[in-house]
Amino acid sequence: MDLLSSLRISASGLAAQRKRMEAHSSNIANAQTTRTAEGGPYRRKEVVFGSEPARDTFSEILEGELAENAQTVHATEVVHSDKVVYKHDPTHPDANSEGYVAMPDINPMVEMANMIEAQRAYESNVTAINTTKQMAMKSLEIGRGN
Amino acid sequence: MDVSDKTLQALTTALNFREMRNELISTNIANANTPGFKAKKLDFEEALARALDVDGQMQMNTTDGKHHNVGNGGFNNLDPEVYDNPNGVVSESGNTVDVEAEMATMAENKLMYDALVQLINKKMGIMKYALNSER
Repeated sequence: MDLLSSLRISASGLAAQRKRMEAHSSNIANAQTTRTAEGGPYRRKEVVFGSEPARDTFSEILEGELAENAQTVHATEVVHSDKVVYKHDPTHPDANSEGYVAMPDINPMVEMANMIEAQRAYESNVTAINTTKQMAMKSLEIGRGN
Repeated sequence: MDVSDKTLQALTTALNFREMRNELISTNIANANTPGFKAKKLDFEEALARALDVDGQMQMNTTDGKHHNVGNGGFNNLDPEVYDNPNGVVSESGNTVDVEAEMATMAENKLMYDALVQLINKKMGIMKYALNSER
């Protein structure tokens, strides 16, 4: 329970948001991908967040209620969507016998909106880190210059 | 004069609580997109006022040796209150974090922290002045 664990919590937020950003970038890049290593079209990725108590050191584990309330965030799961959309394009090499191609179910607008949200959340974590850092620097001034 | 008098004790206790509040605000901001996360809040002002017992209003008389001392003037067993913020707006994912409000609280908390550091330095300056002044 100190300023350093505040930094750790904000850093976990940065890591989680970056992971989310990666997933949405990957979705936009692969919006037209019909062939993947697993076979079939690309499947849309979505990152799910979960929180857990920020207990990294032994002393923090020993602490009580407040240590339970300080929680880091983690990307707990990457969910792959199974949805595909069929597009009529008989000239496409992956078209089936009726001329339909299975395409990933990705709306670039939705992905962009999610990326902006992730970016803003990332920025707010950076601001939190800077504030905590300034507080830690200020605390070093105690007893100085008297 | 006692070196660790009430003023210095109150200041350092408040400094500690401000650090705790900073940690909870960091938690809320980091978990702004976590489904089902409930925003946390820390209240210590009332507990600190009770410990300081500025106006003597919260004093409770102990008329018997077996009576428990109900928290006045004690900094050691100060218990800040942590609870889920009731003012949060629930989003569709069940999250109640208001990032803008958290950022504002964080800025305020930092200002108060800086002020506390200055006050501690002033207090120490006064003590040093008392030590150095000639009779």
